[in-house]
Amino acid sequence: MIDFMLAAVVSAFLNIVLLLIVIGTYVQNMRVIRSYYTSGLVLVAVLLMIQNIVIVLFWSTLYVDDKALMMSADMVSHYLFAINVIQSIGLSVLVWITRR
Amino acid sequence: MTFRIFFLMFVLSLGFPMFSFSGIIPKNIFHVTDSFTGKNNSEINRRFKMILWAIIAGTRGGVNRAKILNLIKNNPLNANKIATELNLDHKTVAHHVKILSKNKLIIKAEKNYGAEYQLTQIMTENQNVLEEIMEKIGTK
Repeated sequence: MIDFMLAAVVSAFLNIVLLLIVIGTYVQNMRVIRSYYTSGLVLVAVLLMIQNIVIVLFWSTLYVDDKALMMSADMVSHYLFAINVIQSIGLSVLVWITRR
Repeated sequence: MTFRIFFLMFVLSLGFPMFSFSGIIPKNIFHVTDSFTGKNNSEINRRFKMILWAIIAGTRGGVNRAKILNLIKNNPLNANKIATELNLDHKTVAHHVKILSKNKLIIKAEKNYGAEYQLTQIMTENQNVLEEIMEKIGTK
């Protein structure tokens, strides 16, 4: 049996790494081209990053500490896993487009 | 049970995409023909503006791509001359030129090696968007 919660967190970490790459490129561009477009790109990427950091924080504090919460979270963890994996695929495509 | 439903949804989403980018963006966006006149032009320009911003501001090396477009807008140059003019590595320019060609922003005047590159029709028609972006680059 796969631990979906752990897999979801690994995927969230992967998302954070992918977003760091994207944000790096976007910030470099923003320093040269100051416009609503470049700032918007950075803002969106940062918000997505906050989302993934929240997932990791949820896992490392609430989930690990609270046994009752752990049980109820495990019942739906495969949904979280699916959401994160789909996001990872999407972000991989974005990184590929951005870096090529 | 819940997992089975989820799996079914996943398979369905793969097999029958309800959402596709190709449906949103018209296929002939880059091929402006005589039929594309009047009210459709502003729609195309709006979309083109979005694409140009994405290619320049949303990718690594986008600023150099803008500079290449700006350089060849009045006088077509080959990849070698672009590299010399912009003081860039030849390989870098070759890569940028490839990406710009793939995105139908520039086109080779002739087929042979070392041919000059020039802006495509849609890029020429929307030079004001490029100027807008170049102004933003110029301020820094």
